[in-house]
Amino acid sequence: MFNTILSEYKATLSVFFVLLVIVVLELLQVRAAIYPSLLPAFEWLKNSTPLGYIGTTYGSIYATVQAMHLLTMGTLGGLVLATDLRLLGVMFRTTPSEVISNGTHKAFKVTLIAAVLTGIFCAAGVADKVYYMPVFWVKMLALAAGAAFVFLIKQPLLSSKPHSEINPWIIRGMAVTSILVWFTVAASGRWIGFS
Amino acid sequence: MSDGKKIGDKELAAISVSVIIFGGAIFHWVAEMISTVELLELAYGTVKLFNNPLVF
Repeated sequence: MFNTILSEYKATLSVFFVLLVIVVLELLQVRAAIYPSLLPAFEWLKNSTPLGYIGTTYGSIYATVQAMHLLTMGTLGGLVLATDLRLLGVMFRTTPSEVISNGTHKAFKVTLIAAVLTGIFCAAGVADKVYYMPVFWVKMLALAAGAAFVFLIKQPLLSSKPHSEINPWIIRGMAVTSILVWFTVAASGRWIGFS
Repeated sequence: MSDGKKIGDKELAAISVSVIIFGGAIFHWVAEMISTVELLELAYGTVKLFNNPLVF
C-alpha cells in the first residue's frame, strides 16, 4: 500500500517534502541566520569584481545592460502572457495550445538565461544597496519560484500528454498562478528601480 | 478538454504547487496594500479611498 502510493505519487510527495523542509527551515530561523553572512558576498560583488567596477564606473555600459535586462524581462512577460492566456482560452484560440506552449518554452529558456545574466550585472553595481531592500529578496524569491514552477511542474505536465486529456481547471489554475508569479517578478523589479 | 478525467501524479503536484504559490503571492500583495494604506493614514490621517461621505 505504502509502496504503491510512493511509486504512483512521486511528484506530489516530492512537493510536500520540499514544502516540509521549507517550513522546518523557517521554524529553525535558518534564513534569518544566513542573511547577515551574505553581506560580505554582496560587498565583494560590488567592490572586488569587474562587474561591480564597470557597473559603478561606466554609466553608459550600465544603462545599456540595464536596457537589455528590461528588454529580456519584457520578452519574458510577453512569452508568459502568450502561453498562459492561450491556456486560459483568451487569445490565439485557433492555434493548438500544445504548439504555443512548446514553442514559447524554447524561447523562454534562452530569455530567462539572458535576463538572469544581465540582472547579475545590474545588481553588481548596486549590490550593497539591494542587499538591504526587502523587495529585492521578494523578486529573487518570486523568480526562483516562477522558474521552478515552469521547469519542474508546468512544462513537464503540459508536454506529457495532449492538453485535452488534462483537467481544464488544473490548466487554468497553472496559468493564473504563472501570470501572478511573473507579475510579482516584474512589479518587484520596478519597485527596486523606484527605491 | 473534459472535466471528468482522473487526476494523476503530475496533475496533483501541479494543482498543489499552484495553490501554494498563488496563495503566497496574494498574501504578499494584500500585506503590501495594507501597509501602504497604513502609511497613507500616518501621513494624511484618515484615508477615504472611495470618497465616502459618511467618513469625516
